Amino acid sequence: MNLTIDGIPFDAPESWTILETARFLGLEIPTLCYHEGLSAWGGCRLCIVEIGTGDRTKLVTSCTYPVEEGLVVHTATKRVISARKMILELLISQCPTSKVLQDLAAKMGLNQVRFSPKWENCIYCGLCVRICEEQMMASAIGFANRGNELKIHTPFDKTSDECRRCGGCMYICPACTTRCEGTNPENVLCGRCENTLQPTCLEVYENNYHCWMGLKGECGTCVTENNK
Amino acid sequence: MKHISTVEGFTDFRKLILDHPEDNKVCLVLCAGTGGLASGSNDIMRIIKREIIEHNLHDKLTLRITGCLGFCEMDPFIIVEPGNNLYPKLKMEDVPKIIDAAVKGKVIEEMLYKEPGTLKTFKTQQDIHFFKNQTRTILGKNQYLDPIRIYNYIKQDGYTAFEKVISNPDFEWIINEIKQSELRGRGGGGFPTGIKWEIARKSGNGETKKFIICNADEGDPGAYMDRSLLEGNPHSIIEGLIIGGIAIGATQAYIYVRSEYPLAIKHTTIALRQAQDLGILGKNILGTNIDFDIDIVRGAGAFVCGEETALIKSIEGKMGQPAQRPPYPVNKGLWGFPTCINNVETFANIPVIISKGAEEYTKVGVPGNRGTKIFSLVGKIKNTGLVEVPLGTTIKKVVYDIGGGPSGEKKIKAIQTGGPSGGCIPEKMFDIPIDYESLNKAGSIMGSGGMIVMDEDTCMVDIAKYFTNFLQEESCGKCSTCREGTQRMNEILTNITEGKGKEEDIALLEELGPVIKDASMCGLGQTAANPLLATLRYFKDEYIDHILKKKCTAGVCKEIISSPCQYTCPIDTEVPVYVALIANTKYEEALKIIKKDNPFASVLARVCHHPCELKCKAGEGGDAIAIGDLKRFVTDYGLKNKLHTKTKHVQKIKGSKVAIIGSGPSGLTCGFYLAQKGYEVTVFEKESEIGGMLTLGIPEYRLPRNILEYDINYVKSSGLDIKTNFALGKDFTLNDLRDQGYKAIYIATGAHQSLKLDIPGEDIEGVLPGMKALSSLNLGKNIEIGKKVGIIGGGNTAVDAARRVLRAEISESVAMIDTARSALRTTKPEEITIFYRRTMTEIPAYKEEVEGSLDEGIKIEFLTAPKKIISEKGKLKACEFIRMKMGELDESGRRRPVPVEGSEFTVELDTLIVSISESPDISFLKKEGLEFSKWNTIIVDPETFQTTKQGVFAGGDLVTGPNTVVDAVAAGKITALSIDQYLSGKEVKREYKITRPSKYIEPLELSEEETDELMLAKRPVMPCLSPDKRKYNLLEVEQGFTEKQAIKEAQRCLRCELETQDGKEFIEKLKEKSQEKQEA
Repeated sequence: MNLTIDGIPFDAPESWTILETARFLGLEIPTLCYHEGLSAWGGCRLCIVEIGTGDRTKLVTSCTYPVEEGLVVHTATKRVISARKMILELLISQCPTSKVLQDLAAKMGLNQVRFSPKWENCIYCGLCVRICEEQMMASAIGFANRGNELKIHTPFDKTSDECRRCGGCMYICPACTTRCEGTNPENVLCGRCENTLQPTCLEVYENNYHCWMGLKGECGTCVTENNK
Repeated sequence: MKHISTVEGFTDFRKLILDHPEDNKVCLVLCAGTGGLASGSNDIMRIIKREIIEHNLHDKLTLRITGCLGFCEMDPFIIVEPGNNLYPKLKMEDVPKIIDAAVKGKVIEEMLYKEPGTLKTFKTQQDIHFFKNQTRTILGKNQYLDPIRIYNYIKQDGYTAFEKVISNPDFEWIINEIKQSELRGRGGGGFPTGIKWEIARKSGNGETKKFIICNADEGDPGAYMDRSLLEGNPHSIIEGLIIGGIAIGATQAYIYVRSEYPLAIKHTTIALRQAQDLGILGKNILGTNIDFDIDIVRGAGAFVCGEETALIKSIEGKMGQPAQRPPYPVNKGLWGFPTCINNVETFANIPVIISKGAEEYTKVGVPGNRGTKIFSLVGKIKNTGLVEVPLGTTIKKVVYDIGGGPSGEKKIKAIQTGGPSGGCIPEKMFDIPIDYESLNKAGSIMGSGGMIVMDEDTCMVDIAKYFTNFLQEESCGKCSTCREGTQRMNEILTNITEGKGKEEDIALLEELGPVIKDASMCGLGQTAANPLLATLRYFKDEYIDHILKKKCTAGVCKEIISSPCQYTCPIDTEVPVYVALIANTKYEEALKIIKKDNPFASVLARVCHHPCELKCKAGEGGDAIAIGDLKRFVTDYGLKNKLHTKTKHVQKIKGSKVAIIGSGPSGLTCGFYLAQKGYEVTVFEKESEIGGMLTLGIPEYRLPRNILEYDINYVKSSGLDIKTNFALGKDFTLNDLRDQGYKAIYIATGAHQSLKLDIPGEDIEGVLPGMKALSSLNLGKNIEIGKKVGIIGGGNTAVDAARRVLRAEISESVAMIDTARSALRTTKPEEITIFYRRTMTEIPAYKEEVEGSLDEGIKIEFLTAPKKIISEKGKLKACEFIRMKMGELDESGRRRPVPVEGSEFTVELDTLIVSISESPDISFLKKEGLEFSKWNTIIVDPETFQTTKQGVFAGGDLVTGPNTVVDAVAAGKITALSIDQYLSGKEVKREYKITRPSKYIEPLELSEEETDELMLAKRPVMPCLSPDKRKYNLLEVEQGFTEKQAIKEAQRCLRCELETQDGKEFIEKLKEKSQEKQEA
């Protein structure tokens, strides 16, 4: 399957997804609900990329989208980055205690959260449900209800014999990890020790951006180059 | 039923039914879909059956119980065939009469359908605009068949398409035909059905098992087209499914229908069994080696299960969560097999295309959008129901020609298409055609076809909130953008509707909406932001009003408005508080509450146009509370007991002087509030009497002079200095006032100049400007009025002038009533005529005044406009009028009167009073450096009433043109605040707060019987002097409520203010207290 991803032509095996191809090429795409050992879910939406050319482009989740002949993919256009930031803003306001989310926020340069924090400790990425079903062969937990009442628990919220207390769900959870305290523990966004430069390439290269370093412009080289 | 096993056998069977002669019996068609049943068609059905049995009418009359016929507004109704007479909104007792007439071949005229509004009677169903303007290709059949009789369906050419296909099962031909017909998915997506079937056909290796699914999971609030098809014509769906199955090579079909549609499930189950028994479903259909069967799957009611991948999961028995596409269901669907999913309506179109041919089908609609589409038209519309129109029809035609326009008096504001996933389209865009692309471009979608009509009583922010709330509950929760996004949208919108919105919220919503649209997994999320984005696009000002001005124009958002009456009141009178106090017989406290916000309490209790009553919740489906009359009861009580005759006299501590020009309600109010703040206020009045329009314009029989004096004295007691006979422009200028040390000036000189007719011969003796005539009569000045009097206009000035002229003679002397004198009168009521160019519905004067004048014998000629004045020797002799008729809607939404050619007529007159409208007299203000509009009004900042000149403010009629007393008082009140800010050196800025009463009054404890009685109680009739006792004198016409009347009326109040968060807390505290008491 010949496709172009961030300007790189590549012949990917038929069974691959865009995400697998991008990772193979060393292009970074953030994910939350994706795990190599589990089936793709497409729930967190962070791995969105833009496919197509001209006016007919759309955002798709790279973790589920199979490679196609002649596919043109951009992993970090303005549209992608701003949508990802909004998604992360939504998720982090739901669960500010997650270290994984805080690190992502720092990396992606998210510097404001305009929604009131919910202080929940789940982002419903479904990793625990899938590890329980697919790797532990237990299916002890699952989703219940829908919409604003969505929950993950055992059937009827009762202690279940199916659960062997293997701890796989806790191992894989990106949300219930302890958050590092940072400088502002009570804020929705922590001190962002990891925070570096804002991605500047976007402004310079608009939508033709692709960073060979996979750094999303944090190095600042592109700007310097462009200024020359 | 005979099981048929050959194609020939089936052809013969159909022929047998089709050739069977029609019986010539009269047939009663009863609409008994779910809507009909809810309106009581079950009872009607029983009565008809009983009548037929009791009177042995079996060979004269038949009854056909059909599914929904679409005219739901008129349910339950009967159509009598063959005459097609439609009898709407039937009651059980009507049925025998109709049966009797039907058997005799007669028609009961008075029970036939009458168009609401015009009240025109329509004899046949086909003539009724609702049906006439539709193209009922799909829906029309419902009327001619009983859904549980397969014979009925075959008789109506049913299974023709099936026969065509089964005798030569060529899938390529079918797919080609469907592709040629340009049929697009009726579920809302609009994907070409032919192409979908082609992909499904090619999918797999030829031996792969395939499925075809009919999506009947119709979850949009206010949409029920799919239900009506399954209920009313299930065989057409079965036929469509079989054809689809043959086309794509599927062997099994499922109809996924929601459990909330029991009747649809029942009828479909019966139809399926009939089809199976007949042999057109099952193994080896009619010996052709084709296996195809259909099963029903009942959905549990999750909105998201209408999405195809979620629907598949639901059939598989898994949780109804969508899956990311690709792979698409046509490649990998139900249990991993290729699956083709289409909407009910799409399948209903298939037999039509196959039997008539694609070419015939494409004659309807527009290129790219062929065929008809069914919409469910609901909301604030006259003809609620199902309508079917060709694609490409304009929204206007659907809403006005078929729907009959707004149901109430309010104008239509917008229409929501596509249910919660769609968006609204404002009224000004109703010319766009209904097709997939145009609706998308307008920010909405076709969706499955829900159309919710909204009028001016609908708040667009509230609508957006309603839909996002629905979506946040119905989102499956799998993907983050949809789950969190809808919740956050709903959270922000809720804050805005509660008056807690922030300015930056709009920008945040505008950023959030497109991301939800862009990045969500399935159709639900991708369209979830539509209601928000469309309302933001077309009604952004409503959002801004909610956030910045705490204003909800429609009066819907409870936490902002508290109670509609208090919210609507221009001077923020705490209506629910004083009404509750009256109910508790605490009149003095009530008076205190009224006077707090209203220095002209007694006056306004009589002359206010009470906008509060228009918005009263009790008025929805009942009588609005008589708020104005209750206020009058309290103020009269105060008057009788000499309560609050004076206000506190405040020391002039502020040290600044303020001048007020004009002693009308606006000027005096402004002075009153400024004096109370400690300013030294002087009021300058041109006339010899103070009160402005209250004295000059309102006749004594409406506002007795002692009442007016009482209020003016109250205002004066605040320490106002009033100088009469002192006119601006003549005796002094604004600069003079400044020189005298006045730091701020408020000009409120009103609008006293009557406009001219602008017709030939107007400036002659005998033609009087309305205001001049009225003010001279009111002040008791001499003015010559003849015997035959004509008044032109329909406003309050015109009606006041007419009634005042009737009382003219007596007012000059002492009021005395005796028959001898009235016989000698110069003017008799029958010689006074008001000429108005529109009709009674449009007349702007207060209804009670118009009715009062009619009671007194004054004539009103509607739809009449003056054309020419005829004079003799320089004196008025007659006036030529022309008849008008109501024409097209103008920009203000009123129908424009247009003259009827050749309908001129002449009326002899001695006096003609022209009061079409008034404008301010600004001649004396011209040199003061102020700016004026083209209507001769002063231009001010509408928020603060500041003019363009530093320190000069203006308000009242001088700014608005002729307006109501209460608005003038409001302007004075607001200006007082502005002037205070100005003189204190602060920024002059209007402050907005959400509406709340200053205190809550305990709700009454009533027994159940008392509550029931109040529920049924009507608004009391205001006791009035009889026309005979009042028409020749100036005694007050309205006499005021008795105490008993007032208490009972006050008890009727629904106490909306207790339903806010604050109100609920108050009730909670009350409960706690009473519990504590009990425990103690």
